[in-house]
Amino acid sequence: MKANVSSSREIVPTKALSSLFTPKKLLTWTGIPIIFVIFLLPIYRLIALSFQKDGAFALTNYTTILQDPTTWSVIQNTLIIVVGSTAISVTLGVSFAWLVAYTDLRAKKLMQIFIILPFVIPSYISTLAWTQFFGASGLFQKVASLLPFSVPDINLYSLAGIIFVLGLSHYPLVYLLSVSVLRKIPRELEQATRVSGASRWTTFLKVTIPLALPGIASGGFLAFLANLDNFGIPAFLGIPANISVLSTYIYQQVVGFGPSAFANAATLSVILGVIALLGTLFQWLLLRKSKRIETTTEDKQPRYYLGKKKIWIEVMLWCFFLLTGVIPLVSMAMTSLLTAYGVDFTLENISLKNYQFILDTSPKAKQAFFNSVTLASLTTIIGIVVGTAFAYYRIRKPNPLNKWTEISIGLPYALPGTVMALSMIFAWMEPLPGWNPGIYGSIMILFIAYITRFLILQVRGSITAVMQVDISMEEAAQVSGSNGWAKWRKILIPLLLPGVLSGAFLVFLTALTELTVSSLLWSSNSETIGVVIFGYEQAGYSTYSTAFSSLIVGLIILGFFLLYVLESFWNRKVGKQS
Amino acid sequence: MSKFKLGVAALLSIGLITGCAAQGETTDSGDVSGDLSFYTSQPDVDAEQLVTAFNEKYPDVNVNVFRSGTEEVISKVMAEEQAGDVQADVLLVADSVTFESLKEQDMLLTYKSEEAKEIPENFVDPDGTYTGTKVMSTALVVNTDNVSEMPTSWKVLTDSDSSGSTIMPSPLYSGAAAYNLGVLTRNDDFGWDFYENLKNNDITVTEGNGAVLKAVASGEETYGMVVDFIVARAEAEGSPVKLVYPEEGVPVITEPIGIMKNTQNEAAAKAFVDFVLSEEGQKLAAEIGYTPIRKGVEAPEGLRTIKDMNVLEADIKELYQAREDDKKQFSELFGE
Repeated sequence: MKANVSSSREIVPTKALSSLFTPKKLLTWTGIPIIFVIFLLPIYRLIALSFQKDGAFALTNYTTILQDPTTWSVIQNTLIIVVGSTAISVTLGVSFAWLVAYTDLRAKKLMQIFIILPFVIPSYISTLAWTQFFGASGLFQKVASLLPFSVPDINLYSLAGIIFVLGLSHYPLVYLLSVSVLRKIPRELEQATRVSGASRWTTFLKVTIPLALPGIASGGFLAFLANLDNFGIPAFLGIPANISVLSTYIYQQVVGFGPSAFANAATLSVILGVIALLGTLFQWLLLRKSKRIETTTEDKQPRYYLGKKKIWIEVMLWCFFLLTGVIPLVSMAMTSLLTAYGVDFTLENISLKNYQFILDTSPKAKQAFFNSVTLASLTTIIGIVVGTAFAYYRIRKPNPLNKWTEISIGLPYALPGTVMALSMIFAWMEPLPGWNPGIYGSIMILFIAYITRFLILQVRGSITAVMQVDISMEEAAQVSGSNGWAKWRKILIPLLLPGVLSGAFLVFLTALTELTVSSLLWSSNSETIGVVIFGYEQAGYSTYSTAFSSLIVGLIILGFFLLYVLESFWNRKVGKQS
Repeated sequence: MSKFKLGVAALLSIGLITGCAAQGETTDSGDVSGDLSFYTSQPDVDAEQLVTAFNEKYPDVNVNVFRSGTEEVISKVMAEEQAGDVQADVLLVADSVTFESLKEQDMLLTYKSEEAKEIPENFVDPDGTYTGTKVMSTALVVNTDNVSEMPTSWKVLTDSDSSGSTIMPSPLYSGAAAYNLGVLTRNDDFGWDFYENLKNNDITVTEGNGAVLKAVASGEETYGMVVDFIVARAEAEGSPVKLVYPEEGVPVITEPIGIMKNTQNEAAAKAFVDFVLSEEGQKLAAEIGYTPIRKGVEAPEGLRTIKDMNVLEADIKELYQAREDDKKQFSELFGE
């Protein structure tokens, strides 16, 4: 991408930035160090811990762990699972994005909501629903027994099962970051290729994919990190099958809080970080091949008419959504209506008492809802500003410093939540020796932790958006006299908005239901939604936890509707202006 | 000033203000008041009731509760220790083995509460660093839709009739399960053979006690090994489960309470411990749904009092020292 940016062009982005942040150096001298402190301090503490033995520098943690055959089988499991599930996520995400962006399918808006659902439903709910579905008395067996041929038993408690459920839970990340990119690819390019005699498939491979690569690679990378970090799914499905991955294995080390436990956990986390770096490298290699797009408006008109196949594709898609989004959701909603867990779903066993408890009796739920919404909103807003500014800087003026910054922003998202939370304690209890600013123990620590962990979602979303805008657009604005703020307001913000919003949407959703980090860092009065749901689960009150989850998912769907309306309203407005 | 600068300034000032507030709090060791940080693994609602009752007696103490699973609570305490300052004043988590490890690291304060005299001797640390607060046994949970005749023995889990329909929590993830593993393998009636038989009988191993109860209540599994009080609660709510105390006896954890050595508010911490162990505090525990530990306080409906239980025990020190090896052996056994 560097070849695209000639030296004379480099003046332009600097100006654009300086118009936003004056004096120009301010960004470099305050922004970058702050990002460094927030992201690198916890990681630094973690790495330091992994090189310590009895208070002195040592490599023993690494030599011991790397000589243990268990470590290697755990790493092997992790690689198989992460690569497999990311492949599923990318395939599904790109396919759906292509179908929604290019074809004449009906009810796309509704479809989009169902595509997002698997990402919104808490993973302990979806895993439970899947195991029930494939279980001995589940729907799958019932349908299978009706078929004339025999269907092999599906055992979810296996490597394949973990890959399957993880892949399904994270494909929305790929979808969200790819769909707007696909829409921006000029149809003329594809038509030209087709006219020149290329088949549809060749056009897809040679034109569509390279142009859409920024989105696909960003989404794929996020899915990769999410699959790497996920604890709930490999714990639930892996423990019975005795399959450990790094995230669960690290948790085991942390739980075995002997004198060496933290050092072991830290060492394993560094190994996990190395795997995340490999992912970054792969993504970087991919992106070198991507191409910039000249036009930048979203084209929502269908490009491929599916004809007779349309109805069949639609039926297949809706069956898929029904299975992946609706069944877990319905099973969750059904449980939330039961008077007690495990009773049959009959009229006399149904009541709203769980909802009454959540909405009325328990002051905790309301407090947690308020806290989570505040935290998620603040994180999202800061993310939009800082993340987009950084993304712009990163793409328009690439240098080693911001490349490394991007990597450090990505790491906290890949580390298991438990480890991340513990290193936040190391880092923020006494950021400087002997100085305890009281950040740890207040809600501030959660706020910092969320930014640390989720900023990458915004950065990736915004990078994808910025990569889509060819620099010539900015130059054109400049030539026609729009400078500085006017350029941002009139050209960049409207063009970037859809991509930036996808990122913001991910940040908000993830922060809203975050569990592991909050559960270790919260204290009285700063409970979050995730902590309260987890608390009910642990106390054996599954009916309360499902009721609270159902409410949250319901609100998210509602919010999603609102966002969609807002976005299409905005697009129409921008469309009119141009 | 640019927006970015403003944002940074706002962030910093929030940090400073909260920082000052936290540092400005003074603690008074003379009377019972001030802040008290209480870390516990008890369910939220229960911790809340305990604090409310305590505040009726000591209204000037502001109790901050942190609640999570025992493992997370301890991880947090250890991380705080590593970072240089343990924030917890009072700790109440699952089992004495956990406390033994903290005691070994010299993190606990010695305090011999007057109230502890009414508590069975074997549940009180002779050095006074921790005291049991209730009795929680691990017993059998049975799905009443799947079977009508209740089993009486742990053997039902290894019986070929129940092959593939039993479940237990993993000692690698659950502290209570790790305790059970230690006790049962050191007991002549069970030993490692018992766990080998469990494995041969195709038992499902899951994360924690909550997951065991869920699997049995939903009918997915028929028998489970689980901590007693959550079954009694689910039973009372109407779930199709029944709690059975096997005749061979049950391993018991006591949710001990202890004070951290570097507590900032010793007076309040001691008052809190006294309150939990007092007759009033113990009656409250029974009301909430636990088997109390103090002599003369009755257990709630559905649960047995300690004197009616056949308790399986093992040496706490030995359990503490062998825990890592036990876990290792378990994961090797179930890994094959």
